[in-house]
Amino acid sequence: MAVNYNAKEEADGHPSGVGVPGGAGKSRKPDNTAFKQQRLPAWQPILTAGTVLPAFFIIGLIFIPIGIGIFVTSNNIREYEIDYTGTDSSSPCNKCLNVSWNSTPPCTCTINFTLDQPFETNVFMYYGLSNFYQNHRRYVKSRDDSQLNGDNSSLLNPSKECEPYSTSEGKPIAPCGAIANSMFNDTLELFRIDNETRTPITLNKKGIAWWTDKNVKFRNPSGNTNNLTALFQGTTKPVNWPKPVYMLDSETDNNGFINEDFIVWMRTAALPTFRKLYRLIERKNNLQPTLQAGKYSLDITYNYPVHSFDGRKRMILSTISWMGGKNPFLGIAYITVGSICFFLGVVLLVIHHKYGNRNTSADIPN
Amino acid sequence: MDYAKLYEPGQLNLLFNKRKFFICIAHGVYTSFALFFIPYGAFYNTAGEDGKHIADYQSFAVTVATSLVIVVSVQIALDTSYWTAINRFFILGSIAVYFAILFAMHSDGIFVIFPNHFPFVGNARNSLSQISVWLVILLTTVISVMPVITFRFLKEDLNPTLIDQVRKLQKARRKQKPLQNYMCQVSRRSSRRSAYAFSHQEGFGELITSGKNMTMHNSISWIENLRKKTAETVNSFRSDRTVKL
Repeated sequence: MAVNYNAKEEADGHPSGVGVPGGAGKSRKPDNTAFKQQRLPAWQPILTAGTVLPAFFIIGLIFIPIGIGIFVTSNNIREYEIDYTGTDSSSPCNKCLNVSWNSTPPCTCTINFTLDQPFETNVFMYYGLSNFYQNHRRYVKSRDDSQLNGDNSSLLNPSKECEPYSTSEGKPIAPCGAIANSMFNDTLELFRIDNETRTPITLNKKGIAWWTDKNVKFRNPSGNTNNLTALFQGTTKPVNWPKPVYMLDSETDNNGFINEDFIVWMRTAALPTFRKLYRLIERKNNLQPTLQAGKYSLDITYNYPVHSFDGRKRMILSTISWMGGKNPFLGIAYITVGSICFFLGVVLLVIHHKYGNRNTSADIPN
Repeated sequence: MDYAKLYEPGQLNLLFNKRKFFICIAHGVYTSFALFFIPYGAFYNTAGEDGKHIADYQSFAVTVATSLVIVVSVQIALDTSYWTAINRFFILGSIAVYFAILFAMHSDGIFVIFPNHFPFVGNARNSLSQISVWLVILLTTVISVMPVITFRFLKEDLNPTLIDQVRKLQKARRKQKPLQNYMCQVSRRSSRRSAYAFSHQEGFGELITSGKNMTMHNSISWIENLRKKTAETVNSFRSDRTVKL
């Protein structure tokens, strides 16, 4: 082709005035910017031995100390667990095994135990359940959050999700749903035994639920009276409850829907074996441990039947650390993963030295 | 067009075939197991750092979902081989948008408006402020991504594909030479042209067969058009530095 053209015109790169023959004005050539011509400054990472192997070693060196730290912390947490289901015939609670939810008088049992080591910091008292599937789908949906938030129209008109626990004897149930209906209602009391004298240990029932749950999510129905009985007029108690919801506690800021035990129960657990915070045992002063070593006794008012579905109930006394309750899994997992990373780093280093690192530029066919 | 042989893997279906598909599925299954069972083990029968609930259904969901988003973003980042500002913006932006939406959906304000649709109120704040949740997320990410890096590194080291070799070569070259000057390519182009470019031009066929007189003023306009069209085509090739003529 013997066409001469102006190199200068091409060099400055402005879109030429005449584009396609027959077209008017605008050229279809994209602008000569870095963005449109795909010339943006870019970083092209490649997995070379120089980056991957140090990364593995660094991950190994970081994870192993973290794992050891977590494991040591978890081992230092004091925990004491008592299973009081009563399936064993020698257990004091065996007589309460087949109790039903409305037995009168309620079945009580006492279990004596000994703490070998004192519990230094604040002690948390939990109740734990096993084989209780709070994560069953229809169970989890069986609640009415706007009723629990104090909405007056939902109070008298519970949502359909609560079926079949939404009305009873012609009146709407407050709180409705299967979760509320199956609320845990055992009473646990702790006594210290000191030479034949039993001193009760003060158990704090406030501060066991999440702040957002207690102050935002759960609200009592509003009205121009402070009398909760009047505010809940027109509703009835859940089928399996001994008392209605406005009689859960005598204190007004722990009664009704904002009762903290109720709130803790309504926060459904993810796994079939779980523990929920029941009471707090606070440290009185820094000189004495919260729970000294010695003999204790646990008084149980056994109202909650679990034997029919092979469930188990237990009481747990535990201290807490910066990573939560006693759980060796995370520490062991970190140590394992750190060691595997380190070992893989060594193996890859050996493989790379022996077999890798071929010269590539000569092999590429152009 | 430097490395024409790079087209071969695509043509031979080497980059996506049944074997790769099943490897992909196996990788997904492995990651899913890690994403569920690590939080399962970490939250089994335990409580949070203030003693309160951490093993509840909603916190478990938040932990697994956050781990999932981070694992997927890290996987995408591993696969991105050309990091421009746009890539950075979108990958980091997607993680940021996830957290923004998470906190928005778990906020008090939206719960007050729609209590039945946003029951996760307070969850993001409560879960993500616990150290053990972040430790679980970090562990899950490393467990999910480590095998991928291992396999890729081994494959690249022992059996590098053409693409890997070319990238290594480009990287090595870029370290040695500075960026090429555009001007020297332009001056070359005035004398040499790719036959490929002009095989798609009209050529003089129409001019000749149209029977137009080759007078001065006609031919100039025709040739002017042709020259401008040529200039456009060559301009579009000029930006690709690896074109050899």
